[in-house]
Amino acid sequence: MADSTSDDLEPLFDYRRVQPLNFVCIEDDGSDASPDPSPKRRKIPDTDVVKVDEDVEVIKVVNVEEEDWLAPPPMVSTDALSKIGEDSTIKELRLRKQELLSVAQSTKNMLLEVEESVKRELSGSLKASLDAGAEQPKNPTSERAKIVISIQNKDECKQFRVYMDDKFERLFSMYADKVKLDLQSLVFSFDGDKISAAATPASLGMEDDDIIEVHVKKR
Amino acid sequence: MSGGIARGRLAEERKAWRKNHPHGFVAKPETLQDGTVNLMVWHCTIPGKAGTDWEGGYFPLTLHFSEDYPSKPPKCKFPQGFFHPNVYPSGTVCLSILNEDSGWRPAITVKQILVGIQDLLDAPNPADPAQTEGYHLFIQDANEYKRRVRQQAKQYPPLV
Repeated sequence: MADSTSDDLEPLFDYRRVQPLNFVCIEDDGSDASPDPSPKRRKIPDTDVVKVDEDVEVIKVVNVEEEDWLAPPPMVSTDALSKIGEDSTIKELRLRKQELLSVAQSTKNMLLEVEESVKRELSGSLKASLDAGAEQPKNPTSERAKIVISIQNKDECKQFRVYMDDKFERLFSMYADKVKLDLQSLVFSFDGDKISAAATPASLGMEDDDIIEVHVKKR
Repeated sequence: MSGGIARGRLAEERKAWRKNHPHGFVAKPETLQDGTVNLMVWHCTIPGKAGTDWEGGYFPLTLHFSEDYPSKPPKCKFPQGFFHPNVYPSGTVCLSILNEDSGWRPAITVKQILVGIQDLLDAPNPADPAQTEGYHLFIQDANEYKRRVRQQAKQYPPLV
């Protein structure tokens, strides 16, 4: 026990011997006179660099003052180096940012272009198919709007995609085929009114996802 | 301007109804002679539930909305003299969810109102009678009540 405490004390003495060095350092910091007080010097340039962003002239003035006050060679060099370092990193960051922005923009443009081209292709092919279809039947309309209509019976709802100007008789017979019921036994209604086979979704003012109800006639 | 909220809500209700509603039900705002739509009055049809004495009947119901809707419920009317214990001689339906001071909540939809009334048809509430004939027969003469209900269902055949 006694030995260990004495051991502890010895290192303390050792540190005291070293302390003078530390003291010198503190004095240097306080006086700002010593040639290489690295920690504080570095702080000053930092603040200067912050100013760099705001105003270039101010920094120049600060530099001049520092040169007047302090030993020039190391200061200027470190200052310049740190400034260049900071400036270059900031510049680099800005460049990177711009690069990223430009990349993002270009990808956006790319997407837009792709979308447009796809649309163009689609409309083109659609027109082509419509034109091709128009030759056979008698529907020369260049753009036929389509809507989705649901046909609802007691148990389920089936969706159909039809032309706005297509007569319901086509949809009705299609539905009768699908549910395997006689078309004559089915009654279709919209908003409580019977739909005539000659009507069209457009003539009834129907919208996307509107529901048609189907009732099975009782014999 | 005061009807802005009511009309806005009713337009939404109508939109939702067009996309989705129970089979056999109809609910549409009335169209005036000049072709304009009056959102404040709806003409509806309630089908009698399958498997009940009301089956086969498609009962017309009119909803009258006020400018205070949806703070206040609509007045729901069957034709005058409609046979049901909870329907007033005027045709007005007496139902808790349609009572401003009782079960009405602004969140109740048109669909819920109509389904609620469909439920009421076969499940009258004898604690809240609104007409003497329907009420007395329901309480005293089950057979005659049944006959009258079936007869009435035939009076309102499907529209299509």
